[in-house]
Amino acid sequence: MRDPVRLQQEDFSLDEEVAALRASSKRMGGIATFIGCARDFSEGRKVTQISFDAYGSMALAEMNKLRDEAIAKFALLDARIVHRVGMVRAGEQIVFIAAGAEHRAPALQACHWLIDELKQRVPIWKKEITPQGEAWVTPHP
Amino acid sequence: MIRVQFFGPVAERVGACEVQVAFKAGMRLQDVREQLKTKYPAAFEIVCFAAVNGEHVRDMSLPLQEGSEVVFMSKFSGG
Repeated sequence: MRDPVRLQQEDFSLDEEVAALRASSKRMGGIATFIGCARDFSEGRKVTQISFDAYGSMALAEMNKLRDEAIAKFALLDARIVHRVGMVRAGEQIVFIAAGAEHRAPALQACHWLIDELKQRVPIWKKEITPQGEAWVTPHP
Repeated sequence: MIRVQFFGPVAERVGACEVQVAFKAGMRLQDVREQLKTKYPAAFEIVCFAAVNGEHVRDMSLPLQEGSEVVFMSKFSGG
């Protein structure tokens, strides 16, 4: 079984991640998932690729803290967080979050909370690569 | 020595992912920041966070040790 919290260059499989989450408990009545993808258009420009840089050890530690906090805060049965680093082509998957709980409400709330917190707290930076050049992304509020 | 790392947009503005700063007794995080800010002003325009030995640090008066690992970071944009 792969680690529930990972930073990796390669793509991930939604089916494999959800199967791993479901394998952790048969009491799970609700599973919420979020997949962030690389858009091919941003700020009026065509985007061909996005390059992700991360402070790897701290990013992984912070993602593990987020998972632990979400499990405690929303009484989850399990949660998984996977974020890609390196080069991601437009249209590809970037980040995966899954939250499993006995009921749908905490699963949905936890999934939303996790992606919002990840954006605020995990040291990862993205650079959009366009035909006109490259630019680091300024975070949205 | 103090090992200072940079990532993403800060690394690009510094022109390096890592620099070393000579350790002096009594050195604090703000001393390293001031020293590097003078050398790399454009990079430090976007620095918002610091970490020492892998932990977020808000108190810039934190004392450093020989061998401390410091990171100066801009706002995150993952996800």
